[in-house]
Amino acid sequence: MRILISTVLLFLITSIGLAQETPPAGSAERGHQTFMKYMCYTCHGTLGQGADRGTGPKLAPGSLPYPAFALQVRTPRLDMPAYRKEFVSDQELADIYAYLLTVKPSPAAKDIPLLKFD
Amino acid sequence: MRAYKIATTPPMGPVLITADGDLAEQPVQDEKKLRMPKLTMSIPPQGDSGAIAEAAKMLATANSPVILADRACRSQEGIKRLVELAEALNAPVADIGGRMNFPTTHYLCRNMDKRPLVGQADVVLMLEVADPWGQFNTISDPHHEYRRLSKPDVKIIHISLGDTLTKANYQDMQRFMPVDLAISGDAQATLPALIEAVKSAAGMSQRAAIAERATKLREDHRRMKDRARAEASPGWDATPCSTARTSAQLYNVIKNEKWCVAVSSVQWNKNLWPATEYYNFIGGSGGAGQGYGAPAAVGAALANRDKGIITVSIEGDGDLMYAPGSLWTAAHHKIPLLMIVHNNRAYHQEVMHLQKMASLHNRRMDTAAIGTTIENPNIDFAKLAQSMGLFAEGPINDPAAIGPALSRALAVVKRGEPALVDIVSQGR
Repeated sequence: MRILISTVLLFLITSIGLAQETPPAGSAERGHQTFMKYMCYTCHGTLGQGADRGTGPKLAPGSLPYPAFALQVRTPRLDMPAYRKEFVSDQELADIYAYLLTVKPSPAAKDIPLLKFD
Repeated sequence: MRAYKIATTPPMGPVLITADGDLAEQPVQDEKKLRMPKLTMSIPPQGDSGAIAEAAKMLATANSPVILADRACRSQEGIKRLVELAEALNAPVADIGGRMNFPTTHYLCRNMDKRPLVGQADVVLMLEVADPWGQFNTISDPHHEYRRLSKPDVKIIHISLGDTLTKANYQDMQRFMPVDLAISGDAQATLPALIEAVKSAAGMSQRAAIAERATKLREDHRRMKDRARAEASPGWDATPCSTARTSAQLYNVIKNEKWCVAVSSVQWNKNLWPATEYYNFIGGSGGAGQGYGAPAAVGAALANRDKGIITVSIEGDGDLMYAPGSLWTAAHHKIPLLMIVHNNRAYHQEVMHLQKMASLHNRRMDTAAIGTTIENPNIDFAKLAQSMGLFAEGPINDPAAIGPALSRALAVVKRGEPALVDIVSQGR
């Protein structure tokens, strides 16, 4: 009986987790416009690459899972302002997330000759 | 002579002389009688010997000592002494940047790790730190909640002339920070005595413990440098141009020269570049006011002109608009300065605060652009500089064009004239 309950709980948790992991459909093109409109780029860079002095962490490529991304935007940790649904809709958030998923990786530091200082 | 003496006596500072109209109008009666008074420089004050012995004891017996240096070193001798002290303790040094205090190539340099180091420290030695409270606490925006970064029982020593600088009815002080040992004295002048006291204070077992720290500290320094490079690569080929790439391109052009960064709106130079000489960085304004950058860079370039030092600056576009006349001064007096405009077309310092205030007061979030962006029309800084007689290129949008433009600008500067390169850049 205990094994059965554990199995059911595991199934439920996994199902909920998977459901939350799946990002809602979004438009990368609209997402880029929204990213710029709300000036996310001032701290995170126009490609979500992050910025000098740690002002904004790198967002892309390799974004957070969507639930964590949405949680941070709505109820942020640390210095980030909160973006409420009234002003940045769930669809706009999904669009921004879709945009960040399209960002291609930059060359690695070891492959950039100008970053070999020593 | 008095003005010169005050200006060049530590802690050093600007002096203004006002001559009244009558004096200015009167002819000199006999030029042969004019003479320059004898100049005798004041010896900078050294900290009290008893207090130095106490500080040395605290530092030598610490398990995790940390040194924070701000306006501490004013010459190569100062840097050499600070290296000697840090090595005697195997204490990591975070250079806050009021001046060039510590070589970025040294294994004890940990400029990027100041916060975690302060958090782990049992003894912190501050050298001429302008904002002591800010080194041990954070304050949130906009709610002004404070958070202590350091351990509650951390011991703090401060060697500074700050307590002697009260000179006006109205003066800006940073938040008061209680310390355990405050030594009033010039930091650089106090370093030789402190080094000797530390060497005397450390017993056999303490010397062994200090020596043991070296391996880990070397590894930590290497990791910090790797992290700086890793953080510089994202967005390398982006348009608008990455500020890290601009910094790296600039170093590539000047690396074989004697160089000085007079002003910089980005931190990459200090995190990435090998810097060992006292003239490499001159620090900031101290007041963080708008409009400092251009005139300060022109002044530094004038001071460096006869020393064979190439002066460069990375100047914010908003800051430059406060005193663009400095460019004409540089052209008119043939002051060789290589100025990059970090043209992010905004006053980015304020954006996030406005976003937070909008969020707090339930207002639209896209209004933060009002009053913070410098667009419509975009400013053509190359044309602005050319109109005042400078060689100038830009606006540059293609990161591949940065290097060639900087090379052409450097050639102009090496001929003894100023040059400006306008780079359309990421926000930070």
